[in-house]
Amino acid sequence: MAYAHIGTEVIDTAALEARVVTVEDGAVCTFIGNVRRRSRGREVAYLEYNAYLPIANRMLQEIADEAESRWQVKLAVQHRIGRVDLGEAGVVVVVTSVHRAEAFDACRFCIDTLKENVPIWKREVCPDGAFWIEGEVSLPASKAD
Amino acid sequence: MDHDTGPSTLSSQEDTVSGSARLIGAHMPTAGGLKNSLTSGKEIGCTAVQLFTGNPRQWSHPSLTDDEIREFRSTHEQTGIPFLVAHDSYLINLAAPAADVLERSRSAFRGELDRAHALGIPWVVTHMGSHLDQGEEEAVQRLITSLREILEETEAEGCTAGVALETTAGQGTGLGWSFNQLGDILKGVGENPRLGVCMDTCHVFAAGYDIRTPETYRDTIQKFDELVGINHLRVIHTNDSKKGLGSRVDRHEHIGMGEIGMEAFSLLLNDERLMHVPVIAETPDAQTMHRVNVARLRRLAASGAYGIVVTAQLFGHYSELFPGGTVDVLLPKGAVINDLAAALTDLNPALSDLSTHCRFAIADELVDGSAVLREGCTVAALPPSSGG
Ligand SMILES: [Zn+2]
Ligand SMILES: [Zn+2]
Repeated sequence: MAYAHIGTEVIDTAALEARVVTVEDGAVCTFIGNVRRRSRGREVAYLEYNAYLPIANRMLQEIADEAESRWQVKLAVQHRIGRVDLGEAGVVVVVTSVHRAEAFDACRFCIDTLKENVPIWKREVCPDGAFWIEGEVSLPASKAD
Repeated sequence: MDHDTGPSTLSSQEDTVSGSARLIGAHMPTAGGLKNSLTSGKEIGCTAVQLFTGNPRQWSHPSLTDDEIREFRSTHEQTGIPFLVAHDSYLINLAAPAADVLERSRSAFRGELDRAHALGIPWVVTHMGSHLDQGEEEAVQRLITSLREILEETEAEGCTAGVALETTAGQGTGLGWSFNQLGDILKGVGENPRLGVCMDTCHVFAAGYDIRTPETYRDTIQKFDELVGINHLRVIHTNDSKKGLGSRVDRHEHIGMGEIGMEAFSLLLNDERLMHVPVIAETPDAQTMHRVNVARLRRLAASGAYGIVVTAQLFGHYSELFPGGTVDVLLPKGAVINDLAAALTDLNPALSDLSTHCRFAIADELVDGSAVLREGCTVAALPPSSGG
Protein backbone atom coordinates (compact mmCIF):
# COMPACT_ATOMS: atom_id res chain seq x y z
CA MET A 1 0.00 0.00 0.00
CA ALA A 2 1.23 3.47 -0.87
CA TYR A 3 1.76 6.17 1.73
CA ALA A 4 -0.75 9.04 1.46
CA HIS A 5 -1.20 11.78 4.02
CA ILE A 6 -3.00 15.13 4.27
CA GLY A 7 -2.11 17.38 7.21
CA THR A 8 -1.09 20.80 8.44
CA GLU A 9 2.55 19.94 9.15
CA VAL A 10 5.41 21.19 6.95
CA ILE A 11 6.34 18.49 4.44
CA ASP A 12 9.70 16.86 5.12
CA THR A 13 10.69 15.76 1.62
CA ALA A 14 13.70 13.74 2.78
CA ALA A 15 11.58 11.82 5.26
CA LEU A 16 8.98 11.16 2.58
CA GLU A 17 11.69 9.87 0.22
CA ALA A 18 13.07 7.67 2.98
CA ARG A 19 9.68 5.90 3.13
CA VAL A 20 10.05 4.52 -0.40
CA VAL A 21 13.73 4.52 -1.39
CA THR A 22 15.51 1.15 -1.27
CA VAL A 23 18.74 -0.17 -2.80
CA GLU A 24 16.68 -2.02 -5.42
CA ASP A 25 15.56 1.27 -7.01
CA GLY A 26 17.51 2.88 -9.79
CA ALA A 27 15.07 5.77 -10.10
CA VAL A 28 13.68 8.23 -7.56
CA CYS A 29 11.28 10.78 -8.97
CA THR A 30 10.22 13.54 -6.59
CA PHE A 31 7.68 16.19 -7.54
CA ILE A 32 7.44 19.22 -5.26
CA GLY A 33 4.54 21.64 -5.72
CA ASN A 34 5.70 24.93 -4.22
CA VAL A 35 3.76 28.08 -3.38
CA ARG A 36 4.86 30.70 -5.88
CA ARG A 37 4.73 34.45 -5.66
CA ARG A 38 2.81 35.14 -8.85
CA SER A 39 -0.46 33.51 -9.75
CA ARG A 40 -2.91 34.52 -12.49
CA GLY A 41 -1.25 37.92 -12.67
CA ARG A 42 -1.57 38.52 -8.94
CA GLU A 43 1.01 38.83 -6.20
CA VAL A 44 0.37 36.12 -3.60
CA ALA A 45 1.19 36.64 0.11
CA TYR A 46 0.44 33.05 1.14
CA LEU A 47 -1.95 30.18 0.42
CA GLU A 48 -4.50 28.47 2.52
CA TYR A 49 -5.50 24.92 1.67
CA ASN A 50 -8.79 23.48 2.82
CA ALA A 51 -10.02 19.93 2.29
CA TYR A 52 -13.08 17.80 2.75
CA LEU A 53 -11.13 15.12 4.58
CA PRO A 54 -13.58 12.20 4.62
CA ILE A 55 -13.28 11.98 0.84
CA ALA A 56 -9.87 13.61 0.31
CA ASN A 57 -8.09 11.03 2.50
CA ARG A 58 -9.79 8.09 0.85
CA MET A 59 -9.26 9.40 -2.72
CA LEU A 60 -5.63 10.30 -2.23
CA GLN A 61 -4.97 6.79 -0.92
CA GLU A 62 -6.83 5.23 -3.86
CA ILE A 63 -4.90 7.31 -6.41
CA ALA A 64 -1.57 6.45 -4.80
CA ASP A 65 -2.43 2.74 -4.66
CA GLU A 66 -3.58 2.73 -8.26
CA ALA A 67 -0.31 4.34 -9.40
CA GLU A 68 1.70 1.76 -7.46
CA SER A 69 -0.07 -1.22 -8.96
CA ARG A 70 -0.36 0.15 -12.51
CA TRP A 71 3.35 0.98 -12.89
CA GLN A 72 4.70 -1.47 -10.30
CA VAL A 73 6.40 1.32 -8.32
CA LYS A 74 6.45 2.51 -4.72
CA LEU A 75 4.82 5.85 -4.02
CA ALA A 76 4.50 8.31 -1.13
CA VAL A 77 2.41 11.47 -1.34
CA GLN A 78 1.75 14.21 1.20
CA HIS A 79 -0.48 17.28 0.89
CA ARG A 80 -0.69 20.21 3.24
CA ILE A 81 -3.79 21.99 4.53
CA GLY A 82 -3.97 25.27 6.40
CA ARG A 83 -1.63 28.18 5.77
CA VAL A 84 1.35 27.55 3.47
CA ASP A 85 3.87 30.32 2.94
CA LEU A 86 5.76 31.31 -0.21
CA GLY A 87 8.49 28.87 -1.13
CA GLU A 88 7.00 26.09 0.98
CA ALA A 89 5.69 22.89 -0.54
CA GLY A 90 1.95 22.39 -0.76
CA VAL A 91 2.34 18.86 -2.07
CA VAL A 92 5.16 16.35 -2.56
CA VAL A 93 4.99 13.09 -4.54
CA VAL A 94 7.87 10.59 -4.39
CA VAL A 95 8.00 7.54 -6.68
CA THR A 96 10.74 4.93 -6.75
CA SER A 97 11.20 2.17 -9.29
CA VAL A 98 13.83 0.09 -11.01
CA HIS A 99 13.83 2.27 -14.15
CA ARG A 100 12.93 5.95 -14.65
CA ALA A 101 10.09 5.70 -17.18
CA GLU A 102 7.65 4.07 -14.72
CA ALA A 103 8.64 6.51 -11.98
CA PHE A 104 7.97 9.56 -14.16
CA ASP A 105 4.65 8.21 -15.43
CA ALA A 106 3.36 7.18 -12.02
CA CYS A 107 4.40 10.50 -10.49
CA ARG A 108 2.66 12.48 -13.22
CA PHE A 109 -0.48 10.35 -12.93
CA CYS A 110 -0.59 10.90 -9.18
CA ILE A 111 -0.23 14.70 -9.23
CA ASP A 112 -2.56 15.17 -12.22
CA THR A 113 -5.31 12.96 -10.81
CA LEU A 114 -4.96 14.51 -7.39
CA LYS A 115 -5.37 18.03 -8.79
CA GLU A 116 -8.39 16.99 -10.82
CA ASN A 117 -10.31 14.94 -8.27
CA VAL A 118 -9.33 15.21 -4.63
CA PRO A 119 -11.54 17.73 -2.79
CA ILE A 120 -8.83 20.15 -1.71
CA TRP A 121 -9.07 23.87 -2.45
CA LYS A 122 -6.66 26.73 -2.30
CA ARG A 123 -7.43 30.23 -1.24
CA GLU A 124 -4.86 32.73 -2.44
CA VAL A 125 -4.32 35.54 0.01
CA CYS A 126 -2.97 38.61 -1.76
CA PRO A 127 -2.03 42.01 -0.32
CA ASP A 128 -5.29 43.53 -1.63
CA GLY A 129 -7.75 40.70 -0.96
CA ALA A 130 -8.19 36.94 -1.07
CA PHE A 131 -9.39 34.64 -3.86
CA TRP A 132 -11.02 31.22 -3.83
CA ILE A 133 -9.65 28.94 -6.54
CA GLU A 134 -12.15 26.40 -7.85
CA GLY A 135 -10.85 24.40 -10.80
CA GLU A 136 -9.78 27.01 -13.35
CA VAL A 137 -11.99 29.68 -11.81
CA SER A 138 -10.84 32.27 -9.29
CA LEU A 139 -13.45 34.09 -7.20
CA PRO A 140 -12.90 37.08 -4.92
CA ALA A 141 -13.39 36.29 -1.23
CA SER A 142 -15.37 38.67 0.97
CA LYS A 143 -12.81 38.44 3.77
CA ALA A 144 -9.34 39.72 3.02
CA ASP A 145 -7.27 37.38 5.20
CA MET B 1 -28.77 12.82 17.70
CA ASP B 2 -29.41 9.17 17.00
CA HIS B 3 -29.30 8.86 13.22
CA ASP B 4 -31.02 5.52 13.26
CA THR B 5 -34.17 6.70 14.95
CA GLY B 6 -36.96 5.34 12.79
CA PRO B 7 -40.15 7.18 11.93
CA SER B 8 -42.03 5.16 14.56
CA THR B 9 -40.17 6.93 17.35
CA LEU B 10 -40.61 10.56 16.37
CA SER B 11 -39.65 11.90 19.74
CA SER B 12 -40.02 15.26 21.40
CA GLN B 13 -36.26 15.51 21.09
CA GLU B 14 -36.59 15.43 17.33
CA ASP B 15 -39.22 18.13 17.48
CA THR B 16 -36.79 20.33 19.35
CA VAL B 17 -34.03 19.80 16.84
CA SER B 18 -36.34 20.41 13.88
CA GLY B 19 -37.88 23.38 15.66
CA SER B 20 -34.55 25.14 16.00
CA ALA B 21 -33.57 24.36 12.41
CA ARG B 22 -36.68 26.15 11.24
CA LEU B 23 -35.77 29.62 10.00
CA ILE B 24 -37.93 31.88 12.14
CA GLY B 25 -37.33 35.45 13.21
CA ALA B 26 -38.41 39.06 13.04
CA HIS B 27 -37.67 42.43 11.51
CA MET B 28 -35.10 43.72 13.99
CA PRO B 29 -34.29 47.37 14.70
CA THR B 30 -30.88 48.73 13.65
CA ALA B 31 -30.68 51.67 16.08
CA GLY B 32 -27.05 52.17 17.11
CA GLY B 33 -25.68 50.22 14.13
CA LEU B 34 -26.77 47.61 11.59
CA LYS B 35 -25.11 44.84 13.56
CA ASN B 36 -27.41 45.45 16.53
CA SER B 37 -30.22 43.82 14.57
CA LEU B 38 -28.19 40.60 14.70
CA THR B 39 -27.22 40.66 18.37
CA SER B 40 -30.73 41.52 19.52
CA GLY B 41 -32.21 38.99 17.09
CA LYS B 42 -29.91 36.31 18.46
CA GLU B 43 -30.93 37.24 21.98
CA ILE B 44 -34.62 36.62 21.32
CA GLY B 45 -34.06 33.34 19.47
CA CYS B 46 -34.16 34.42 15.83
CA THR B 47 -32.72 32.05 13.24
CA ALA B 48 -33.72 34.57 10.55
CA VAL B 49 -33.44 38.36 10.74
CA GLN B 50 -34.83 41.10 8.52
CA LEU B 51 -33.40 44.60 8.64
CA PHE B 52 -33.28 47.95 6.90
CA THR B 53 -29.78 48.63 5.60
CA GLY B 54 -30.55 52.35 5.31
CA ASN B 55 -33.11 54.80 6.64
CA PRO B 56 -36.41 53.56 5.12
CA ARG B 57 -37.81 57.11 4.96
CA GLN B 58 -34.87 58.77 3.26
CA TRP B 59 -33.71 58.76 -0.33
CA SER B 60 -30.02 58.99 0.20
CA HIS B 61 -27.83 56.92 2.47
CA PRO B 62 -24.24 57.56 3.34
CA SER B 63 -22.52 54.57 1.77
CA LEU B 64 -21.44 51.83 4.15
CA THR B 65 -17.89 52.14 5.39
CA ASP B 66 -15.48 49.20 5.20
CA ASP B 67 -15.52 49.13 8.99
CA GLU B 68 -19.33 48.86 9.11
CA ILE B 69 -19.28 46.04 6.59
CA ARG B 70 -16.53 44.20 8.44
CA GLU B 71 -18.28 44.64 11.79
CA PHE B 72 -21.59 43.45 10.40
CA ARG B 73 -20.04 40.40 8.78
CA SER B 74 -18.10 39.42 11.89
CA THR B 75 -21.19 39.87 14.08
CA HIS B 76 -23.08 37.71 11.59
CA GLU B 77 -20.42 35.04 11.94
CA GLN B 78 -20.49 35.26 15.75
CA THR B 79 -24.26 35.13 16.10
CA GLY B 80 -24.47 32.36 13.53
CA ILE B 81 -27.92 33.45 12.31
CA PRO B 82 -28.41 31.37 9.15
CA PHE B 83 -30.75 33.63 7.18
CA LEU B 84 -30.73 37.38 6.65
CA VAL B 85 -33.00 39.49 4.48
CA ALA B 86 -33.10 43.23 3.88
CA HIS B 87 -36.26 45.31 3.42
CA ASP B 88 -36.01 48.24 1.03
CA SER B 89 -36.90 51.87 1.64
CA TYR B 90 -40.60 52.82 1.66
CA LEU B 91 -39.94 55.68 -0.76
CA ILE B 92 -38.88 53.49 -3.64
CA ASN B 93 -41.48 53.21 -6.42
CA LEU B 94 -40.12 51.17 -9.30
CA ALA B 95 -43.38 51.79 -11.19
CA ALA B 96 -43.49 55.58 -10.66
CA PRO B 97 -45.19 57.55 -13.45
CA ALA B 98 -42.94 60.61 -12.98
CA ALA B 99 -39.59 60.19 -14.74
CA ASP B 100 -37.55 61.83 -11.98
CA VAL B 101 -39.10 59.72 -9.21
CA LEU B 102 -38.66 56.59 -11.31
CA GLU B 103 -34.98 57.31 -11.91
CA ARG B 104 -34.40 58.14 -8.26
CA SER B 105 -36.18 54.92 -7.23
CA ARG B 106 -34.14 52.79 -9.58
CA SER B 107 -30.91 54.24 -8.36
CA ALA B 108 -31.97 53.86 -4.71
CA PHE B 109 -32.94 50.25 -5.34
CA ARG B 110 -29.61 49.48 -6.98
CA GLY B 111 -28.12 50.92 -3.78
CA GLU B 112 -30.27 48.54 -1.70
CA LEU B 113 -28.95 45.56 -3.67
CA ASP B 114 -25.35 46.79 -3.50
CA ARG B 115 -25.55 47.27 0.26
CA ALA B 116 -27.14 43.84 0.75
CA HIS B 117 -24.44 42.24 -1.38
CA ALA B 118 -21.67 43.98 0.54
CA LEU B 119 -23.17 42.86 3.86
CA GLY B 120 -23.69 39.27 2.75
CA ILE B 121 -27.50 39.51 2.78
CA PRO B 122 -28.93 37.26 0.04
CA TRP B 123 -32.37 38.85 -0.51
CA VAL B 124 -33.94 42.31 -0.57
CA VAL B 125 -37.71 42.42 -0.07
CA THR B 126 -39.46 45.19 -1.96
CA HIS B 127 -43.03 46.36 -2.36
CA MET B 128 -44.06 46.63 -5.97
CA GLY B 129 -44.71 50.36 -6.13
CA SER B 130 -47.86 52.32 -6.96
CA HIS B 131 -49.55 53.45 -10.17
CA LEU B 132 -50.84 56.68 -8.55
CA ASP B 133 -53.93 56.63 -10.81
CA GLN B 134 -51.79 57.26 -13.90
CA GLY B 135 -52.65 53.96 -15.57
CA GLU B 136 -52.15 50.58 -13.93
CA GLU B 137 -51.07 48.69 -17.07
CA GLU B 138 -48.33 51.19 -17.87
CA ALA B 139 -47.18 51.11 -14.24
CA VAL B 140 -46.86 47.31 -14.36
CA GLN B 141 -44.79 47.63 -17.54
CA ARG B 142 -42.53 50.24 -15.92
CA LEU B 143 -42.06 47.99 -12.90
CA ILE B 144 -41.12 45.07 -15.14
CA THR B 145 -38.65 47.22 -17.05
CA SER B 146 -37.15 48.56 -13.81
CA LEU B 147 -36.66 45.08 -12.37
CA ARG B 148 -35.23 43.63 -15.55
CA GLU B 149 -32.76 46.48 -16.00
CA ILE B 150 -31.70 46.55 -12.36
CA LEU B 151 -31.16 42.78 -12.27
CA GLU B 152 -29.07 42.96 -15.45
CA GLU B 153 -27.01 45.95 -14.38
CA THR B 154 -26.28 44.68 -10.89
CA GLU B 155 -25.51 41.19 -12.19
CA ALA B 156 -22.92 42.68 -14.53
CA GLU B 157 -21.31 44.28 -11.47
CA GLY B 158 -21.11 40.91 -9.71
CA CYS B 159 -23.97 41.52 -7.28
CA THR B 160 -25.50 38.25 -6.06
CA ALA B 161 -28.26 39.69 -3.82
CA GLY B 162 -31.72 38.90 -5.16
CA VAL B 163 -35.08 40.69 -5.22
CA ALA B 164 -38.10 39.24 -3.40
CA LEU B 165 -41.32 40.93 -4.53
CA GLU B 166 -43.70 41.24 -1.60
CA THR B 167 -47.42 40.59 -1.95
CA THR B 168 -49.14 43.83 -0.98
CA ALA B 169 -52.37 44.69 0.81
CA GLY B 170 -53.74 46.66 -2.13
CA GLN B 171 -53.87 49.84 -0.14
CA GLY B 172 -54.32 52.98 -2.26
CA THR B 173 -52.89 52.48 -5.73
CA GLY B 174 -50.31 49.86 -4.72
CA LEU B 175 -49.47 47.21 -7.29
CA GLY B 176 -49.07 43.48 -6.80
CA TRP B 177 -51.84 42.66 -4.34
CA SER B 178 -53.54 40.23 -6.70
CA PHE B 179 -51.81 36.92 -7.32
CA ASN B 180 -52.73 37.38 -10.98
CA GLN B 181 -50.83 40.63 -11.28
CA LEU B 182 -47.86 39.36 -9.29
CA GLY B 183 -47.70 36.34 -11.60
CA ASP B 184 -47.78 38.65 -14.65
CA ILE B 185 -44.95 40.73 -13.20
CA LEU B 186 -42.81 37.63 -12.59
CA LYS B 187 -43.47 36.40 -16.12
CA GLY B 188 -42.74 39.86 -17.50
CA VAL B 189 -39.33 40.01 -15.86
CA GLY B 190 -38.58 36.39 -16.76
CA GLU B 191 -37.13 33.53 -14.73
CA ASN B 192 -34.02 34.59 -12.85
CA PRO B 193 -32.45 32.91 -9.83
CA ARG B 194 -32.18 36.40 -8.30
CA LEU B 195 -35.92 37.03 -8.56
CA GLY B 196 -38.33 35.61 -6.00
CA VAL B 197 -41.41 36.40 -3.96
CA CYS B 198 -42.18 37.27 -0.35
CA MET B 199 -45.65 36.40 0.91
CA ASP B 200 -47.04 38.58 3.69
CA THR B 201 -49.99 36.94 5.46
CA CYS B 202 -51.45 40.25 6.63
CA HIS B 203 -51.27 41.69 3.13
CA VAL B 204 -52.68 38.58 1.46
CA PHE B 205 -55.58 38.57 3.91
CA ALA B 206 -56.23 42.30 3.55
CA ALA B 207 -56.16 41.81 -0.22
CA GLY B 208 -59.06 39.39 0.09
CA TYR B 209 -57.45 35.93 0.24
CA ASP B 210 -58.76 33.98 3.24
CA ILE B 211 -56.42 31.61 5.11
CA ARG B 212 -58.30 31.21 8.40
CA THR B 213 -59.45 27.58 8.05
CA PRO B 214 -57.88 24.47 6.53
CA GLU B 215 -60.18 24.78 3.49
CA THR B 216 -59.61 28.48 2.81
CA TYR B 217 -55.87 28.09 3.49
CA ARG B 218 -55.67 25.23 1.00
CA ASP B 219 -57.57 27.18 -1.66
CA THR B 220 -55.51 30.33 -1.22
CA ILE B 221 -52.16 28.53 -1.34
CA GLN B 222 -53.34 26.55 -4.36
CA LYS B 223 -54.30 29.78 -6.12
CA PHE B 224 -50.94 31.28 -5.16
CA ASP B 225 -49.16 28.23 -6.51
CA GLU B 226 -51.03 28.35 -9.82
CA LEU B 227 -50.62 32.07 -10.43
CA VAL B 228 -47.34 32.92 -8.71
CA GLY B 229 -45.67 29.58 -7.93
CA ILE B 230 -44.74 28.26 -4.50
CA ASN B 231 -41.32 27.58 -6.02
CA HIS B 232 -40.77 31.35 -6.18
CA LEU B 233 -41.31 31.86 -2.44
CA ARG B 234 -38.16 33.07 -0.69
CA VAL B 235 -39.53 34.62 2.51
CA ILE B 236 -42.84 34.61 4.36
CA HIS B 237 -43.87 37.59 6.48
CA THR B 238 -46.06 36.18 9.21
CA ASN B 239 -48.19 39.06 10.45
CA ASP B 240 -51.68 38.97 11.80
CA SER B 241 -54.02 41.75 10.66
CA LYS B 242 -55.85 44.43 12.62
CA LYS B 243 -58.26 44.82 9.68
CA GLY B 244 -60.71 42.38 8.17
CA LEU B 245 -60.63 40.14 5.11
CA GLY B 246 -60.47 42.21 1.92
CA SER B 247 -60.13 45.49 3.82
CA ARG B 248 -57.22 46.52 1.55
CA VAL B 249 -55.71 48.18 4.61
CA ASP B 250 -52.25 47.24 5.87
CA ARG B 251 -52.16 47.12 9.70
CA HIS B 252 -50.07 44.42 11.31
CA GLU B 253 -51.09 42.68 14.54
CA HIS B 254 -49.39 40.18 16.87
CA ILE B 255 -49.48 36.55 15.78
CA GLY B 256 -52.90 35.04 16.49
CA MET B 257 -54.22 38.23 18.07
CA GLY B 258 -55.85 39.77 15.01
CA GLU B 259 -58.48 39.06 12.38
CA ILE B 260 -56.50 36.15 10.92
CA GLY B 261 -56.14 34.13 14.13
CA MET B 262 -53.85 31.36 15.29
CA GLU B 263 -55.03 28.49 13.09
CA ALA B 264 -53.80 30.09 9.86
CA PHE B 265 -50.28 30.37 11.27
CA SER B 266 -50.35 26.79 12.45
CA LEU B 267 -51.41 25.67 8.95
CA LEU B 268 -48.71 27.77 7.32
CA LEU B 269 -45.92 26.65 9.64
CA ASN B 270 -46.86 23.00 9.23
CA ASP B 271 -47.21 23.07 5.47
CA GLU B 272 -44.43 20.79 4.36
CA ARG B 273 -44.11 22.54 0.99
CA LEU B 274 -43.03 25.69 2.84
CA MET B 275 -40.88 24.08 5.49
CA HIS B 276 -37.55 25.48 4.33
CA VAL B 277 -38.86 28.98 3.62
CA PRO B 278 -37.74 31.52 6.26
CA VAL B 279 -40.49 33.16 8.29
CA ILE B 280 -40.26 36.76 9.55
CA ALA B 281 -42.61 38.59 11.93
CA GLU B 282 -43.10 42.29 11.26
CA THR B 283 -45.42 42.71 14.20
CA PRO B 284 -45.73 45.81 16.42
CA ASP B 285 -43.81 46.66 19.60
CA ALA B 286 -40.46 45.21 18.56
CA GLN B 287 -38.77 45.88 21.91
CA THR B 288 -41.21 43.97 24.06
CA MET B 289 -43.19 41.71 21.74
CA HIS B 290 -40.81 40.32 19.11
CA ARG B 291 -39.55 37.81 21.65
CA VAL B 292 -43.13 36.65 22.27
CA ASN B 293 -44.09 36.45 18.60
CA VAL B 294 -40.93 34.58 17.61
CA ALA B 295 -41.45 32.07 20.44
CA ARG B 296 -45.08 31.66 19.40
CA LEU B 297 -44.15 30.98 15.78
CA ARG B 298 -41.56 28.46 16.89
CA ARG B 299 -44.07 26.69 19.10
CA LEU B 300 -46.62 26.53 16.30
CA ALA B 301 -43.96 25.15 13.98
CA ALA B 302 -42.95 22.47 16.47
CA SER B 303 -46.51 21.27 16.91
CA GLY B 304 -46.75 19.53 13.56
CA ALA B 305 -45.32 16.34 12.17
CA TYR B 306 -41.90 17.39 11.05
CA GLY B 307 -39.64 16.52 8.19
CA ILE B 308 -35.93 15.93 8.42
CA VAL B 309 -33.07 18.27 9.28
CA VAL B 310 -30.10 18.08 6.95
CA THR B 311 -26.90 20.03 7.47
CA ALA B 312 -25.27 21.43 4.36
CA GLN B 313 -21.52 21.96 4.59
CA LEU B 314 -20.21 24.33 1.94
CA PHE B 315 -16.68 24.68 0.64
CA GLY B 316 -14.77 27.17 -1.50
CA HIS B 317 -16.44 30.55 -2.02
CA TYR B 318 -19.80 29.09 -0.98
CA SER B 319 -18.49 28.67 2.56
CA GLU B 320 -18.77 32.43 3.05
CA LEU B 321 -22.53 32.46 2.50
CA PHE B 322 -23.51 31.08 5.92
CA PRO B 323 -21.89 31.46 9.33
CA GLY B 324 -19.33 28.71 9.78
CA GLY B 325 -19.95 27.57 6.20
CA THR B 326 -22.83 25.35 7.28
CA VAL B 327 -26.60 25.67 7.42
CA ASP B 328 -29.33 23.36 8.69
CA VAL B 329 -32.16 22.90 6.21
CA LEU B 330 -35.54 21.49 7.02
CA LEU B 331 -36.88 19.22 4.27
CA PRO B 332 -39.82 16.87 3.83
CA LYS B 333 -39.18 13.22 4.61
CA GLY B 334 -37.92 11.42 1.52
CA ALA B 335 -36.15 14.52 0.17
CA VAL B 336 -33.17 13.92 -2.12
CA ILE B 337 -29.94 15.83 -2.84
CA ASN B 338 -31.61 17.83 -5.63
CA ASP B 339 -34.30 19.01 -3.18
CA LEU B 340 -31.57 20.17 -0.83
CA ALA B 341 -29.84 22.08 -3.64
CA ALA B 342 -33.14 23.74 -4.57
CA ALA B 343 -33.84 24.69 -0.94
CA LEU B 344 -30.33 26.16 -0.60
CA THR B 345 -30.82 28.23 -3.76
CA ASP B 346 -34.05 29.56 -2.27
CA LEU B 347 -32.10 30.70 0.78
CA ASN B 348 -29.42 32.42 -1.29
CA PRO B 349 -29.44 32.97 -5.06
CA ALA B 350 -25.62 32.90 -5.01
CA LEU B 351 -26.11 29.13 -4.68
CA SER B 352 -28.08 28.78 -7.92
CA ASP B 353 -25.10 27.20 -9.70
CA LEU B 354 -24.45 24.81 -6.80
CA SER B 355 -25.66 21.62 -8.48
CA THR B 356 -23.86 22.30 -11.77
CA HIS B 357 -20.65 23.47 -10.08
CA CYS B 358 -20.41 20.97 -7.23
CA ARG B 359 -20.16 17.30 -6.42
CA PHE B 360 -22.05 16.21 -3.32
CA ALA B 361 -20.85 13.88 -0.61
CA ILE B 362 -22.31 12.24 2.47
CA ALA B 363 -19.53 11.12 4.81
CA ASP B 364 -16.86 9.56 2.55
CA GLU B 365 -19.13 8.74 -0.39
CA LEU B 366 -19.91 10.87 -3.42
CA VAL B 367 -23.66 10.84 -4.09
CA ASP B 368 -25.78 11.92 -7.05
CA GLY B 369 -28.82 14.19 -7.18
CA SER B 370 -31.32 11.43 -6.54
CA ALA B 371 -29.69 10.16 -3.33
CA VAL B 372 -32.22 10.10 -0.48
CA LEU B 373 -31.35 12.16 2.60
CA ARG B 374 -31.71 10.94 6.15
CA GLU B 375 -32.55 12.82 9.32
CA GLY B 376 -29.41 14.38 10.79
CA CYS B 377 -27.12 13.70 7.86
CA THR B 378 -24.49 16.19 6.69
CA VAL B 379 -24.13 16.83 2.99
CA ALA B 380 -20.89 18.35 1.74
CA ALA B 381 -20.98 20.41 -1.46
CA LEU B 382 -17.61 20.16 -3.18
CA PRO B 383 -16.69 22.73 -5.86
CA PRO B 384 -14.03 21.82 -8.47
CA SER B 385 -10.75 20.97 -6.77
CA SER B 386 -7.68 23.18 -6.78
CA GLY B 387 -5.22 21.21 -4.68
CA GLY B 388 -1.61 20.49 -5.68
ZN1 LIG C 1 -44.34 42.46 5.01
ZN1 LIG D 1 -47.44 45.50 5.79
